[in-house]
Amino acid sequence: MSKRPAAGHAAGPASPRRLGVILVDPFPVVRAGTRLLIDDRPDMEVLAEAGDADQAIEAIGRVRRTRVVVLVGLGLTGEHDAYWLIRTLRQRYPTHAILGFGANADPTSISRALFVGADGFVDKNIDPVEFLQALRRAADREMVLAIPIASAVGEIVEGIERRREVEVKLTDREREVLVVAAEGLTARQIATRLGVRERTITTHLARIYGKLGVGSRLAAIRMASQSGLVSVGASE
Amino acid sequence: MMVGEEAANAARLVVADAHPVVRRAVRLSCEALPGLEVVGEADSGSAMLAICDELRPDVAVLDIALPDGIDAIRALNDRQLVDIVVVLTDRTDGASVIEALRLGVEGYLVKSSALPSVGRQIRRVLDGERVISPEVQRAALGELGAFARMAREGSEVRASLTPREREVLMLIGEGLTMRQMANRLGISPRTVESHMAKLYRKLDVRTRVQAVSRAVSLGLIELH
Repeated sequence: MSKRPAAGHAAGPASPRRLGVILVDPFPVVRAGTRLLIDDRPDMEVLAEAGDADQAIEAIGRVRRTRVVVLVGLGLTGEHDAYWLIRTLRQRYPTHAILGFGANADPTSISRALFVGADGFVDKNIDPVEFLQALRRAADREMVLAIPIASAVGEIVEGIERRREVEVKLTDREREVLVVAAEGLTARQIATRLGVRERTITTHLARIYGKLGVGSRLAAIRMASQSGLVSVGASE
Repeated sequence: MMVGEEAANAARLVVADAHPVVRRAVRLSCEALPGLEVVGEADSGSAMLAICDELRPDVAVLDIALPDGIDAIRALNDRQLVDIVVVLTDRTDGASVIEALRLGVEGYLVKSSALPSVGRQIRRVLDGERVISPEVQRAALGELGAFARMAREGSEVRASLTPREREVLMLIGEGLTMRQMANRLGISPRTVESHMAKLYRKLDVRTRVQAVSRAVSLGLIELH
């Protein structure tokens, strides 16, 4: 393991039909464990590993293969977080399968990953056989959702629908106001922050409630939070 | 929602289904359990809405395959007539399940498997669980990818439109002519034409009908 470079390990051309996996996760132990599992199978191999999004972009750029599955750990943080990476890869590599990868991820995170372009999500808690099967199905262009509780599909659909409503119905400015409102600021404080009059903010808020079909600021923030637009700490 | 033992605290249900036999099965199954009371039955979505207006039940159980089933769920949501909507249906295709879930239903029960124990399934929903019959979960997953893609493309296209192009799109959806749009927006028909040309390019369409159909499928406009 330790002899392999951290990223960009190119696969030999001997077996072009093998499924190639690219592992992106901030935790080396997770990558190492996952690699053991994959390299043990004759029909798949790990093509590259990366610990952050920028390394991942670089490593994937060197891969010349079809039938590629990119596993993106949702634990990637920072400006180039997991969702940024998924969105970027989706645009650059439309034929690679991209799977979100996480442990006990909440339905909101899964919705967000799917919304930005993931072809599915695989939970780290599932059985290894099921995990490998999920990779094969993803490589065959199937939507994969390998999670402990299958009925979470309801919450996931709802999360995507909320996100869609928030993004399609609200203007950029209204979204901005909502994000700041979710910090718990008063209309006056929001106005100061955004450099406009308080009256403008109350008008924006009223319009936001109307578009989202909610009656209060709390309900609007809850909806934005379900959509993944804002994250509200303890209250969710 | 907490369901108490006493009838006064019972959750009150309204059931809409085309078949009296199904309504009867739901009634019997619910009333065999404490805390669930069927207060109304209807054979269509609109009849159910009228009952809900009058009786203000807690739960609506309805078949999404009713001709006005989808509209009824929308109306229940918009008018906040009930706390909980549960679908009880024969439809097992992924698109129906996703459509229902997008409308925020708390349960999607398939008659063939759920009917014998429908009271207990509804109780699970009342206890806060989102219950989806196991036989449609896989179909829903299959459709989830298409839905996520539609949501993503819709928001990307939406973000690429200028405020004016969005206005023009809404007016196209309302069926206005170019001249009517010009009047409504207070600009010249030629300017409207130029907005429309850009709009068509962004939607990747050539005709007005295609534009409307694409905008609807991307969720940018709604036709009711």
